[in-house]
Amino acid sequence: MYAATMSVALVGGSVTPVMVEAHVGRPQEAFKLTGLPDTAVREAKDRVRAAVASAGIRFPNRTLTVNLAPADIPKGGTDYDLPIALGILAASREIPDPGGAIVAGELALDGTVRPGSSALGAGVLSARLELPCVVECTSAGQAAAVPGATVFGVRSLAEAVDLLRTGFDRARPADPTPSSDSQPLEDLVDLRGQSVARRALEVAAAGGHHLLLHGPPGGGKTMLARRLPSILPPLASDESIEVSLLWAAAGRNRDINAPPPFRAPHHTASKAALVGGGSGIPRPGEVSLAHHGVLFLDELAELPRGHLDTLRQPLEQGYVSVARKGASLQFPAAFQLVGATNPCPCGFFGDRRRPCDCRPAIRERYRSRVSGPFLDRFDLVVKVGRVSAESFDGPPGEPSERVRARVVAAREIQKERGGLNVHIQPDRLRIGGPARRLIGTALSTFTITARGADRIRRVSRTIADLDGSEVVEEPHVSEAIGLRGDWGES
Amino acid sequence: MRVDPRLLDPAAETYPEGLRDLESPPAVFVTGTMVVAPAIAVVGTRRCTRYGVDLARAFGRGLAEAGWSVVSGLARGIDAAAHWGVLDGSGHALGVVASGLDIWYPAENRPLYRGVLDGGGALVSEYPLGTPPDRWRFPARNRLIAAVASATVVVEAGETGGALITARLAAEMGRPVFVVPGDVDRAASVGCNRLIRDGAHPVLGVVDLIEELELALGPAPGVIDHEAGLLPPQGVAVEDLASYWDCSVGDALRRLGRLEASGQVRQIDGMAVPEGA
Repeated sequence: MYAATMSVALVGGSVTPVMVEAHVGRPQEAFKLTGLPDTAVREAKDRVRAAVASAGIRFPNRTLTVNLAPADIPKGGTDYDLPIALGILAASREIPDPGGAIVAGELALDGTVRPGSSALGAGVLSARLELPCVVECTSAGQAAAVPGATVFGVRSLAEAVDLLRTGFDRARPADPTPSSDSQPLEDLVDLRGQSVARRALEVAAAGGHHLLLHGPPGGGKTMLARRLPSILPPLASDESIEVSLLWAAAGRNRDINAPPPFRAPHHTASKAALVGGGSGIPRPGEVSLAHHGVLFLDELAELPRGHLDTLRQPLEQGYVSVARKGASLQFPAAFQLVGATNPCPCGFFGDRRRPCDCRPAIRERYRSRVSGPFLDRFDLVVKVGRVSAESFDGPPGEPSERVRARVVAAREIQKERGGLNVHIQPDRLRIGGPARRLIGTALSTFTITARGADRIRRVSRTIADLDGSEVVEEPHVSEAIGLRGDWGES
Repeated sequence: MRVDPRLLDPAAETYPEGLRDLESPPAVFVTGTMVVAPAIAVVGTRRCTRYGVDLARAFGRGLAEAGWSVVSGLARGIDAAAHWGVLDGSGHALGVVASGLDIWYPAENRPLYRGVLDGGGALVSEYPLGTPPDRWRFPARNRLIAAVASATVVVEAGETGGALITARLAAEMGRPVFVVPGDVDRAASVGCNRLIRDGAHPVLGVVDLIEELELALGPAPGVIDHEAGLLPPQGVAVEDLASYWDCSVGDALRRLGRLEASGQVRQIDGMAVPEGA
């Protein structure tokens, strides 16, 4: 006797259907699990047996074969427990065949269903295939928030069995949960002074430009960076789902109504933590958790150089390839990079109040740790100095909400043009005569290099968008040059 | 003369912007320092009068001091006077010539060629080294002058001549053309007066010319120079520029960008420092 239940696998942050086939054979106790399961899936056998018994249902004393198809997708995690249990019960004719539904959930030994990481994936698949899905009840709201998904939440295996016996059309699907009370974003209003850095942050947000902040410790580099999400436009529904799926693949929970992600891995983080990896099936790393959001790398010069090299692929291509024994996968990783660095190892070079103890050679070595090609990724470079006493007493900064309104307007213009300015081909831009001349002048005085000129063109396009101007004019270019303060000159 | 010209094709970043407006922009040989500001052409006849020479020299000096680059053909007469004026005003002279850059023609202007290069100016030609200044090359050279300059001033011109060709080409490219009026019975001003009769803009002196140019092209580039001088040698933190200049942050960044572009100021570790300080 045979039954097939549909479940879901997350492969590189995207969703693929998995068929859980169950076959009940001759009366002889045996339980075989095939189809590239990892250890967690193989252990499902024992959990399923206990959970079925706890639910008060007879577990068939027969040869059981469960196959997860297609066999070439590596499957991991504990969320195949529920589909395996339901498949076995259906194959032994205890319950109706759940073939028309997508099922995901981990089983506890007492028969309750535990919240797992596949609920959102099940919701996405439900919407795509127009089939109902069954997931753990506290995750059901998130899955139901996927437009077009039909989601049923269950607390236990017994409830799932009841649901199948009564039929989906007589049960009530879960309502989408509004966003849970996520922490309010830190606001630019708390930040006094730093008018130049604030402007750079706004321009970076508007055009998706990578931003480098440099300056002495305690100047507010981290404070500024943490406030970038507060001025970014909210993610589109499909983008947010994509991000949350990546988080799920990393075993984390992210509300699909949450603001754009902000990730700040420490400079001691391993390469695998940064770009993804791990033993067995690769998990997405910080670069993918920051997809459609902000990756903040503090102490850039302290990062091992190999780490920075691994960022080149995601910075250029918007995704990262991770190869491991279990599988070789690609994870989306289109993030906005904010780098921060001290001017020197002691941190006080250029400080007006404290002398720097570093010898020039040490300072030079510190700066050269970040390679030129990597520094070239930063369209905007701005010094974040110590805030003077007057600024501390000065008026509070402009609230994030007002800055965000300008950023959103500038992004709308870019959307119509076909993409964020950070990715734009500079030679396709409409630049006015005086603006072009200013770039030519800056080139002829060796103020900028040819590559630097492209950065200026991209940034001035964003400044023009913030200004609502169709053509890039001279004031846009001159401001872009002013915002291109250099790090690495001493 | 030993020169070491570089060849700029229209794809080059430092290719003179104005030449791109030509129907088929030619590759050009350049020696010296290229344009750091919009250029104004001052042209006129070789058979000029004292009146024309004095005026051309005053124009060259006035334009240079206002910060514009001055373009001319380095020919005898008005062209040479204008560039001598640029040297008087320590400005940027751009000589566009009809020969190879090693043939300094006419011989009497060799000290001027030397002065242009020593003063940080540049020479431009379409022709490779060793090309003689054949007569037929001059109209082609005039087309470069008309294109490279944002505006053209004709100081003296007879009934026919290269200056009138330059003026016509400039007008056809939509560039403003200014003309100095002269006595109606003087041969060296016949062409100028006719241009005025036909609708060209008469210019009544150096101050008048600069005002008219600012109306047509925007503020004279040299206006910025004085502000660079206002920065103390140790520099001002970029963050403090707005209060230093008493303007908005945006204005401060734009002003800083212009000063940086023209090489007058550098940003060093968050400080705006005047170049050469």
